[in-house]
Amino acid sequence: MNLFASDHKAVARRYLWGGLGFLLLGGLLALIIRWQWAYPGQPVPGLAWAMPESHGAMTPPAYTAVFTMHGLIMIFFAVTPLLFGALGHFVLPLSIGARGLAFPRLSVLGFWLYALGGALVLGSFAVRLGPASAGWTSYPPLSTSVFTPSLGQTLVTVAVLCAAASSFLYGLNFVVTVVRCRAPGMTWGRLTLTVWGLFFASVLNVLFVPVLAAATALLLMDRLLGTQFFIAGAAAVGGGGDPVVYQHLFWLFGHPEVYILILPAWGMVGDFVAFFSRKPAHGYRLTAGAMGVVTALSGLVYAHHLFTSGMSPVLGRTFMVLTLLISLPAEVMYLNWLMTLWRGSVRLTSPMLAALGTMVVFGLGGITGLSLGAVATDVPLHGTLWVVGHFHLTMGAASFLAVFAGLYFWFPKMFGRALHEGLAKAHVVSSAVLFLGVFGGQLAAGYAGQLRRLYDPYQYTYLKHLLPLNQWTSACAFLLGAAQVLFIVNLVWTLSRGRVVGANPWKVGTLEWTCTPSPPPAWNYDPVPVVLRGPHALSQPEVLERLGRDWMGQAESFPEESETEPGQAEGVGGMSTSGGAA
Amino acid sequence: MKALPTGTVAKALSAQVPEPTSAPHAPAPSNAGVPEPTSTPRAPAPSHTGTLSLPEDASTHGHRIDALLAWSHRFDAVLITVALGWLVLAVWRFRKAKQAASDGGTRRSRAWVLGLALGAFVVVDGTLLLGSEGYLRDVLWNFSVPSEDPRTVRIEINAHQWSWEARYAGEDGRFNTSDDVVTWNDLRVPVGVPVWVQLVSTDVVHGFSLPHFRVKLDAIPGRVNQTWFQAAREGAWEAACYQHCGTSHYRMRGVLTAMSPESYATWLREAGKQSAQAWDAEDVAAHWGWEWKAP
Repeated sequence: MNLFASDHKAVARRYLWGGLGFLLLGGLLALIIRWQWAYPGQPVPGLAWAMPESHGAMTPPAYTAVFTMHGLIMIFFAVTPLLFGALGHFVLPLSIGARGLAFPRLSVLGFWLYALGGALVLGSFAVRLGPASAGWTSYPPLSTSVFTPSLGQTLVTVAVLCAAASSFLYGLNFVVTVVRCRAPGMTWGRLTLTVWGLFFASVLNVLFVPVLAAATALLLMDRLLGTQFFIAGAAAVGGGGDPVVYQHLFWLFGHPEVYILILPAWGMVGDFVAFFSRKPAHGYRLTAGAMGVVTALSGLVYAHHLFTSGMSPVLGRTFMVLTLLISLPAEVMYLNWLMTLWRGSVRLTSPMLAALGTMVVFGLGGITGLSLGAVATDVPLHGTLWVVGHFHLTMGAASFLAVFAGLYFWFPKMFGRALHEGLAKAHVVSSAVLFLGVFGGQLAAGYAGQLRRLYDPYQYTYLKHLLPLNQWTSACAFLLGAAQVLFIVNLVWTLSRGRVVGANPWKVGTLEWTCTPSPPPAWNYDPVPVVLRGPHALSQPEVLERLGRDWMGQAESFPEESETEPGQAEGVGGMSTSGGAA
Repeated sequence: MKALPTGTVAKALSAQVPEPTSAPHAPAPSNAGVPEPTSTPRAPAPSHTGTLSLPEDASTHGHRIDALLAWSHRFDAVLITVALGWLVLAVWRFRKAKQAASDGGTRRSRAWVLGLALGAFVVVDGTLLLGSEGYLRDVLWNFSVPSEDPRTVRIEINAHQWSWEARYAGEDGRFNTSDDVVTWNDLRVPVGVPVWVQLVSTDVVHGFSLPHFRVKLDAIPGRVNQTWFQAAREGAWEAACYQHCGTSHYRMRGVLTAMSPESYATWLREAGKQSAQAWDAEDVAAHWGWEWKAP
């Protein structure tokens, strides 16, 4: 295997292994947090080798490092790389009929920046005083060398910069690829919803990841060069700076980031409910438009993370209105998914089950976010596990399930072998149910007032009664961890002796399934297909009548005449919409 | 949420349990001149609220937030029922159906989607927005209440790793004078009177929260933040830090005692006398108070 190969499919495979590895690490760190809340201060099974002084029990400093690294690893090194690095790199060029990404060498550079960041993250666990511990948000002054002097904090800050550079590069690459490299006939109205999601999210990457890079670079200068951009109070010499500026910069990136993590997931859900309801997506243009509106709004809502920072009432009110506004396009999109299921012919394949699971956890996560968007109701819930449960349901559980929906769907195209359906279904269903248990339990604990990031929540009298609830939640989390064995077994088994499948096992019409074998050759398409219709030309009467099947390739024409526009089969691409793009 | 029966409050008040390990830091040497509070703070009453409810509300205005949250939960329940019910029904009814519709929706069905979304948005988000706005206008951002009430108690709080240092102006009503009363992790307020808090941090960002009073505000180095609340009844409740502020973040715990106005006045007078006796004009570090900032 050539580790510097610039074929987008090879880059995708490298991101896949890297992302899955970090997903495992981030997940294990999450289980340690859950252990601590269920059995505070008791030795974590199997951790005595790492922390001999405490016989494997969490200490307060170790605990702060664990929750910090859990967040950073999951966001920057697991979920984003899996969604964009693995699925995005693999699917996006294939789906638009391109022979590759616009800048193949940039994608190699991006991967190696990600790998360098990953190495720094892993290395930070081995240095004295451990890895970063100032929270994934790294708020200064806590994250400056005055209060967190460890080398690990510096290494991880650099690692975040590396991950940011990598995200920016593939974001740019994806945007240019979608704009410039579509196959002939692949109009914007014929893109899959997955590509729409990846495209919008890539735009957000290009716009907002540099803001994170700027904030992180300034922070690094405060740590290493003695500048004081974000230092104030007793630690400041002379005038000092302002920690709140960092918070604004961070969340100006941080909120779009949650949409970066969910837009590709939304896109996949939109496609999969259509594919496996065997019918065109309901309101394709409305759905794509709704994703666009969310994208446009995403940079304008971030300060709801700062409702309790003492911000001016004008800002608070503005961000409250903008934040609530974003629920409108989200509802349009969700209703379109439901309408797609209706009057379809639903097939509960593993990608479909994962997509439906994504809908469930995302629906719950979105709804529980409403009360966080209004200032008054945010006050009692701010900084509690309610917030943690809410965003884990959306960008944790929903993104996770969407990653696996995508992986189960495209695995045959990536490797020529299909994962075992039974194991895959058991994996996604058990994961979805247990996600609801874990994050539902967190919502309940947060509602009762449990604050985030407490080494021992039961120091507080008013939280003591939550111990049984937390133990129950932790039990769900451990089961959720155990359920991942279903995937690992499936993966190992399939790669060696899984069922070899043909070009189009799911019987759908998009280019990657209809115009190239599994796995595709280096140049993807030979010749490049000429696209004739939208991605969801399913159950079209004319196709059923003339071809005897319920799907038709995006670039396929009827055998007899080479007539290109058979009205009906044009389907979603051309004729839908009257509601106008929202 | 629901009011505690008075008997419970009385029991809590008479409990007089000694404070369990709430001060990880003994007063620093620079503060040695400042007296300890005259009596040990009371431990908070054990919470009697259920697992799936907010912490009990001991404030005069918190019930408005709680009511709004209750409304948001009713909406949440309806939305979840509709969304998931629809999903389950669709999957159950159309699983492996012989025929699937061939269209991506009609003009009419898309209009329904837009209409339903808009309807849900107007009702749910509209209620949250208007309810929230009312609370912001009347309470959270309305500092005319504490500034116009002559009885208002002003407290300056200085957060640091890992304790809450509170300063009361004493009888002269001015901060940084010899009769200032300074406490650690021990807030005292009279019942039924606006309490106006101005908040700073010495070192890192902390989060000052009184869960039972629906109060949350960041303590940020380099700026003074402010909020106000009013205790509805006597008792003892916890103050908690909600922003990660370092290894002992989880122990940054204080106790707020709501007292009758008479006993509060007595306490402040006595503590102020002791402060005046121990006042050390040279000890600049102990005089971290500031001139009260007008709204």
